[in-house]
Amino acid sequence: MWYGTCGKENDTAVSTRVRLARNLSGYPFDGRLTEEQAKEIIGKVWAVFAGKDGWTFTDFASLPAVERASYAERHIVSPDFAKKSGPRALISNEERSVYIMVLEEDHIRVQAIAAGFDLSGTRQAVTEAAELLEEALDIAYSEKLGYLTHCPTNLGTGMRASVMLHLPAYTGAGGIRNLQSQLSKMGLTIRGMTGEGSAASGSLYQISNQITLGVTEDGVSAKLEDVITQIIAKERELRGRIRRESLDALSDRVMRGMGVMRYANSIGSAELLSLYSDLRLGTALHLLELPIEKLDEMLMRGMPNTICAEHEGTVSPADRDRVRAAVVREILDRVNTAE
Amino acid sequence: MLCERCGKKDATFYYHENVNGAEKTYSLCRDCADEMEKRGEFRKFGGLTSEFGKFESLFASDPFETMDSLFSGQDLFGNLYAPMKTRQLAQQSRAKRCPLCGMTLADFAKDGKAGCPTCYEIFAEELEPTIGRIHGKTMHGGQAPRKFRERKETAERIRALEAEKKEAIRIENYERAAEIRDELKNLRGNA
Repeated sequence: MWYGTCGKENDTAVSTRVRLARNLSGYPFDGRLTEEQAKEIIGKVWAVFAGKDGWTFTDFASLPAVERASYAERHIVSPDFAKKSGPRALISNEERSVYIMVLEEDHIRVQAIAAGFDLSGTRQAVTEAAELLEEALDIAYSEKLGYLTHCPTNLGTGMRASVMLHLPAYTGAGGIRNLQSQLSKMGLTIRGMTGEGSAASGSLYQISNQITLGVTEDGVSAKLEDVITQIIAKERELRGRIRRESLDALSDRVMRGMGVMRYANSIGSAELLSLYSDLRLGTALHLLELPIEKLDEMLMRGMPNTICAEHEGTVSPADRDRVRAAVVREILDRVNTAE
Repeated sequence: MLCERCGKKDATFYYHENVNGAEKTYSLCRDCADEMEKRGEFRKFGGLTSEFGKFESLFASDPFETMDSLFSGQDLFGNLYAPMKTRQLAQQSRAKRCPLCGMTLADFAKDGKAGCPTCYEIFAEELEPTIGRIHGKTMHGGQAPRKFRERKETAERIRALEAEKKEAIRIENYERAAEIRDELKNLRGNA
């Protein structure tokens, strides 16, 4: 899994995702497909990867709802793919962190995800998989509109790249609104990770490109690379100011958070998100020694559906909170033993 | 980002509306925003906010998904018939149906999504303004599939050789013309 591994610039960058939307010529899009056609598409796409090293097939429609939701919580599939009905498949290569959603909104969505800030690695991974598809299948493409997609918002490259950043200092300084308006002028968007307010959202933001037509893949990547690098630098500068001006208060909050993580019997999901954010900042500022990727692992493995999927018999929210606290302790114990 | 309505000027106004939980956000240039306001196209209880006034829309769930819903819906696609120059053309467009999936323009106006890849060819003219509003451009600039690139290169090579052959015949260089003929045969055979 992408989480739990050490990525580049991981003091601020949590993860990088790139996806390419592709469709097969001669078939209607989602909503107009017959069940037979849907199964045919799944068969054709799997035939490209079956027998190749490292690729596995999951009949996604047959998975229990909590497992499907768990995939979405960990950003391996989209929430829509987890929720929708009808035949669909997940073709994955764990080692390369490439996940191909078959019959999401588009027939094929090739996605790669990596820890930290890694646009070139994720882009290379999706491009290689997409090339295998293009060699074997008749991918819908027009010279004028590029790759043809269900929604016109994805026409052209079909590429959406997104970097998740942890921006507690930016958020604290009230800079996010301004950032949003600046990004929008460049064809980029910023969104929070959850549907809640900034205090509960863990200061996590996803920055992605909006435009896909009339641009090149390299151009979009370079722009995103440049902007993200600047945001990271600014966040670090603002963190430096926090360190200089309110070290005692921050240090106290971080150590209290550590105490809760080590000893609490029950941790709610909103509480974990807020602890995660505090400890991530504390670790980045060297107030405590903890591999930062372990915090990402805690957050992902502490998601409600993921807990239910990984721990049989976890039903009530109270059960989940107890298991969540146990998962957090287990990860901390492992870190201590490793030391 | 360019204005979603005219696709020409920079968007400096954002309009965010929430009607019974259905949220929409539009990015517009000043002129389009003024015009839409004058024409009463913004709902009465909504209003224009300046570029610093929009925070709610930050907290949507997934950037790969909300992007799509941002642009769907009647408001942006409802005037699909507007770019049609004459009533007759509009009527023709209304009656058109994609031969592969059966989509009509009215279907597209409902959810803003095409029925199949062929729809983009059938409704090329009708969809172009909408596509321009979304991306600010209507011509692909990125990579092409290898098969497509090769086909295109072959077609270009054939065109160039045809011209060269014509010229060779004109200057009575029949040896060269024969060489080209063989090369063309080869290229066409592979294609």
